[in-house]
Parts: sequence; C-alpha cells; structure tokens
Amino acid sequence: MTRREWLAMIGVAGAAPLVKAAVPDAPTAPVAIAKCASYDEDVAAKLGAMFDQLGGIDKLVRNKTVTIKINMTGPTSQRVQGRALGLTHYTHPKLVGATAYLLGRAGARRIRFVESAWGTGGPLEDVMLDSGWNVRSLQSAAAGVEFENTNAIGKGKRYATFKVPANPYMYPAYVLNHAYEETDVFVSLAKLKNHITCGVTLSMKNCFGMTPASIYGDDAGRDEPNENPTKGRQAVCHDGKRQPSKIAPPELHPTGSREAEYRIPHITADLAAARPIHLAILDGVESIAGGEGPWVRGVRMVKPGVLIAGTNPVTTDVVSMAVMGYNPRAPRGTAPFQHCENTLLLAEAHGVGTTDLKRIEVRGVAIEQALYRYDR
Amino acid sequence: MRWQWSEVQSLDLLAGTPVNCLLLRTYPQSFVSAATGRGLVTLAILTPSGDVVAAARRALGANVTGLVLEGEFPEGTAAGVREAAAGAPVIELTARNRLALGSNASVVGTYQGVWPGIAIDENGAKKSGPTASVWIDTNTGFLRSVHAWGEAAVWIANEPPAKMAITGSRYLQAIADAAISGARWVLALDADFAGRLARGDAPALADWKRIAGLLNYFERHPEWRHMQESGKLALVQDPGKGGLLSGGILDMIAVKHTPVRPIARQNLTPKALDGATMAVNVDGDALTPEQKEVLRGFTRAGGTLLTGPPGWKDPTPTGANITLEQAELERLNDIWHDVNSMVGRRNMGVRLFNVSSMLSNLLASEDGKSAVLHLVNYSDYPVEDVAVHYLGNYRHATLITPEGADKKLEVYETDEGLGVDLDKVLVCATVRLEQ
Repeated sequence: MTRREWLAMIGVAGAAPLVKAAVPDAPTAPVAIAKCASYDEDVAAKLGAMFDQLGGIDKLVRNKTVTIKINMTGPTSQRVQGRALGLTHYTHPKLVGATAYLLGRAGARRIRFVESAWGTGGPLEDVMLDSGWNVRSLQSAAAGVEFENTNAIGKGKRYATFKVPANPYMYPAYVLNHAYEETDVFVSLAKLKNHITCGVTLSMKNCFGMTPASIYGDDAGRDEPNENPTKGRQAVCHDGKRQPSKIAPPELHPTGSREAEYRIPHITADLAAARPIHLAILDGVESIAGGEGPWVRGVRMVKPGVLIAGTNPVTTDVVSMAVMGYNPRAPRGTAPFQHCENTLLLAEAHGVGTTDLKRIEVRGVAIEQALYRYDR
Repeated sequence: MRWQWSEVQSLDLLAGTPVNCLLLRTYPQSFVSAATGRGLVTLAILTPSGDVVAAARRALGANVTGLVLEGEFPEGTAAGVREAAAGAPVIELTARNRLALGSNASVVGTYQGVWPGIAIDENGAKKSGPTASVWIDTNTGFLRSVHAWGEAAVWIANEPPAKMAITGSRYLQAIADAAISGARWVLALDADFAGRLARGDAPALADWKRIAGLLNYFERHPEWRHMQESGKLALVQDPGKGGLLSGGILDMIAVKHTPVRPIARQNLTPKALDGATMAVNVDGDALTPEQKEVLRGFTRAGGTLLTGPPGWKDPTPTGANITLEQAELERLNDIWHDVNSMVGRRNMGVRLFNVSSMLSNLLASEDGKSAVLHLVNYSDYPVEDVAVHYLGNYRHATLITPEGADKKLEVYETDEGLGVDLDKVLVCATVRLEQ
C-alpha cells in the first residue's frame, strides 16, 4: 500500500470529514513504532530501541519516582476463550517486566505499577497473581519495584486532588489515589484495542482506570469513600445516576448528558489534562478487536504485532489509531466513533496534544508498514 | 462403571484400564462368565419395578457377583434382596436424602448428582454464582460432607445429562470432581460416545485412553482417599441435611478457593476442631448441648465462630431436588458474605491464584508430615501460571499429573509461608507437599 492509498483509506487526506480543524498550536512529539510479532521476542530490546528513537528516557527518569498505569480491565476470571489475559485485553506481563527493566537501567529510583483493579481494594499483587503474572519476576526486573491498587486509598493516608487546568468538561477535579501525585514521571502502559463506549482504548482511555471505585464506584459511600469497593463505576461515571463520594467535587453539569458515550470520552480527556502523561506505551503485539474485554459480545483476538511509544499521549494515540486503520480525527458517527465522541479531539481541545497526523514525526517503522486494520 | 454392552468382545475396551467393576442392566450368562474370567466384578442393576426379589434371584442365577438396587424401593425390599443374595454384595444407589449415612454399609451411593462443569446461562455466558465468581457446578461439597461422616466408600452414579454434547474433557472433570473428594464417580458414557467407542472411532478411543489414564492416576494413589481434609476453617454441618445439597455453603466456599474442613455435626468433638482457627456452624439450633459446649470451648480457646442467623434451618433435599431453591440460596448467600468477611484475604491453609476455572481440595496425612493439594480445571482450556501459597513447613513440593512424570517444584518464601508455581494444568494436577 502506498502512503497516498493509506492516507485515503484512513480519511486524513482528500475530502475532509465534517470536523473542526486541528488546533494549530497543540503540542506535538515524535512517536516510535516497532514490529514485534510475539511476546517471545526480545521485548525489552525492542522497547529500548524505541526509547532511543524518542531521544532516550534517562533524562526523564533518572533518580525519579516513576508511576506506571497498566491495563488490567475487568475481572481476572473473565477470559477470551480461556486465553491468558495478557494475550487479549490486559497489558502483557512481559511488556510490563521489560518496561520495569528499562526504567531501572535508565536510573529510575522507584518504579510503581498501578491499576484500579476491578471490584477490589486488595493488594495489586494478588490481582496480578490471579492474572497468572509472576510477581516475583516483576519485582526482580529492577530495583525499587512497587505495586499499588489505586481502586481505593491503598497504602496511602489520603487521596490526591487533580484539578482540570482549564475549561473542564465533566468534573472540575478528580480525586485519585496518592500514587498519581507522589510521582515525578507518569507512564501509561496501555493495550491497543477498541472500546465499546469510546471507540478505542489507548494511552489516554487507559487512564480512565485511575478513578478509584471507592469514590466513583457504584458502591462508593455517599459521604465517605468505601475502602472495600466491589463494583464498577457505571452509576457515577458512565450513567451519571449519582455523584461521587463527597470527598470529590460533583459534576459541573448535573442536568447534562447521561449518555456514557458522551461522558466517558469527556472524563478521559479531562483526566489527560489533569494528570499529565509523560510517556505512553501501547501494547499491540496481541490484543482484541471489537471491544475492550470478553464481556463485549463479538470481540475477536488479533495479532497486530506492534509496539508504539511516545512522550505525548495524544500524538501517541493518534499514531496508534492510524496503525489500527482509523482516521484519528474521525467525528462522531464515523468508525470507530460511530456512537461516541472522539476522545483525541477532546484532549486536543484541552491543549494536551495535536491530532494532526501531519505534524507528528513517526520514528522506526512507518505507519503503512505497521498497519493492522481493526475493522474488517 | 455402567456397562451398556453385552457382547464379550466389548470387554477388550477394558484392557489397560483400572476398571474392575461393571454395573449391568442386562447380564447374559456368557457375558458375565467372560467378565468374571477377566477378574471383573459384575453387579446386576435392579430397579423398583415388578418382583425385585425374583429379579435378584434371576440375576444371581446368571452368576453375577452381586446386586445394585438403584432407585427408591418399598420398605423392606432391600432386606428381602439381601436375604435372597445369601451373602453376595448388595449395594444401594438411592436418592441423596435416603443415603444410609453413619451406617456400617461398606458403600454408600447415590444416583443423583449435578454434571460437573462451569455453569453456562441460557445466553451462553458463564454464570456467576452467589459469590460473584465464575460458578462451577460440582458434587464436591456433597461428597466431602458425606465422606466426613463414616468410613464407607462413597459412590456417585449420576449419568451424563441427555441432549448435551459431552467432550472427553467433561468426563475427566466428572471423574476428578469425585476423586478429589475421596469418592468415586461410577463411570457412565453417553449414547453418542458409547456408540463411537464401539465402532472404534479414533477420537473416541483417544478420549477413552485419557479417561483410563485419569482413572489409573487416582487408583495409583489410594492413600489420597484416606487423608484428612485440612485447613484452618472448619464447617460444622449435618451431612444428612444441607450437606446433601449441591451448591450449598461448602461449594460456595470452595469456589472462592478457601480450604475448608467439613465436620459432620455428629462427629463434632474438640479433636475434630484441632488446628482450626475459624469455624462456621451452619445450623445453630441443630446442635446438642454437648456439641454447643464444644464450640464454646473453641471460642474460649481463641477460635472465631460464625453461626447461621437465628431461626435459620439448614435446608434438606427432598426427593429429586438436590440443589438449593432460590430463596434458600439467597439466605445462604448472607451466611456466605459473613464467611467471606471473616476470612478476608487470610491464608486458611492455602491461597490459590489464577484458578477461577478450578476447584481444589487440601488434604493432610494423619501425622501432618505431608499434604496434597488437588486441583481440577473445569474449563475447556489449559490453565497456565497458577500460584500456590501455603502454610506449614513443607519444604519439598512435587507436581503429580496424569500426563507425565512427577516434577520437583521450586519452593519459595511468601509473606505468609511458602509458595510454588505451576506452569500448566490441563484437567487435573496434584501438588504433594512434604516436610
């Protein structure tokens, strides 16, 4: 496929869809792509080369605390055809280990893996073990590796409040686990997949999972957080049927949209502005298409065989969408945003990064060579 | 095994298998004679119709080794058959609520069972049980409860459900479901599989070989059947009441992978609670004053006791019903939530990770120097990367599987004790722990 053919296919050239122009001064940053056909390949070497292509990570992480939000969405018991979770909808543990190793080698002082594990406030290590991950091996990948389940207050003594810098969409601020504040560097280590409510779930949507169910969950306390959450965040975040616990500010527009396909992209964009992401890594070696987890009817296993990384979450997600065969600036009504808002455009409007693919330098493998169409 | 063929040649299928006892609905003398000649025990199945004593005499006239009374017979029938049998073995396969629990029968058996496997709802999705985990239909709770009362061998002789395609793996799960509970499933093949086997269909023969392999696996380890249920959580229940049901509190706890020791109410003594730190007394009103005093002693010694809510009566199965009614399930769910809160994330003997499609049973030798942990995988896929964190000073661990040679496992320290990792479990695996 030629570059012209590919641009035509994903709709960023020729007749532009009905969408407002890209924000001309939105930040941009290069994005690296590597082919990686299997987790049995030397994932650390490939990821290391990508970091080099981005200018190296030593300056970013040396002597710093690095917090890495991984993707472990949904209960560990729900599998796609019995497959290991990392081969379908979770970040793969080998990529997690490789990231820790490379961060450690680059001089990170403390490496903290975080996730708001579904339906529990218990230790993240337990959830990892339940996912079939070797926690001992992750701990030995680098010095100073820690784990925190951010679904509740966890090992901290208080929550941290993150204000949306300007013109918040849904909530003026988000109240999160302390780990998201007590860090110098924040990394989103996400999976390359579709999302039933957001079209795609990439580095920014991965960070929707920062919101603790103790405050934003269906069984969150009205007044105080529930430190033993057992449910998801449907009622507060998706459907807006109730407000979060009073420790967090209520939504700005209580009579506004109650539609998840509107709300979740806006919350995700708010979060990307409120808690900046310094490094975005997409696991597209093996994944699923058609949804974010086995609970979505019709999901199928895919093997795009790619890794994507960048220092700006919007530009990284833009390139990721292009690799998936989508127009990153597609408006609502167009794949993959047939029923939802485009989170990338919303984040761009927040000033997080540009969605203009022409302004993004791609390093390593070209998009055309990495192309793996998620819609077939 | 229920044997549906009467051609002598069919017995060739048993070569290399440990099957040594055939339950026969038809028993031509030539077939019985050939089976006896191969060292097999033959049991004629009698059902409650017509003159059962006369049927027994006819069967014995065909030289069968003994008789099986399957079903619900009028009062006195079993005694009449035993008299006619003149010392030949007579085994009763009854409804669960008519099991001769606590008797001196050498075998207690039932024809009622659930078909083991991951429960699927009508839309094809995996069903979540009252514990919100993937629910596994199992007979283990019932079998463990019955096994806890008396020395009799426990047979479960339910047949495969009709109108269901049953894979070879499902047979393996049914065998293992009973075997890890110290019982035996009376092997019964569905018509389709039996037909394909009789025709020499290669995939059916391959499945049969795996079935024989799993039977051999358990028969090679008779000691497992005599080991004691282990763990720091004890469940006091009447095996003649709620213990007879499937899907009850034992199964609820099992699906959360918490080891629990069933203690028959009738056997409740201070010794039975040795080593337990928590106990659940399902039906508080059912205890005698002496038994209540045993539990008071347990709490005085520092044990934590959870009792069913006031007025709660442990449900008893009636006739054909061997699972809980919805209302009972909801009430039992309340007890389950209390148990779950009480146990929390404590290690009650063993904690298992990445085992959502599995059930387990932790057994210990009488001297406490060794233990075995049985694992059964009820999914259609192998489970990889299972972590086992256990209590006790068991520094040596060996993985035993039906598929291969025993494998020494690396034992590592955990926050709460020791641990081992298992790379892959197909249908069944056992970890032997030794000091």
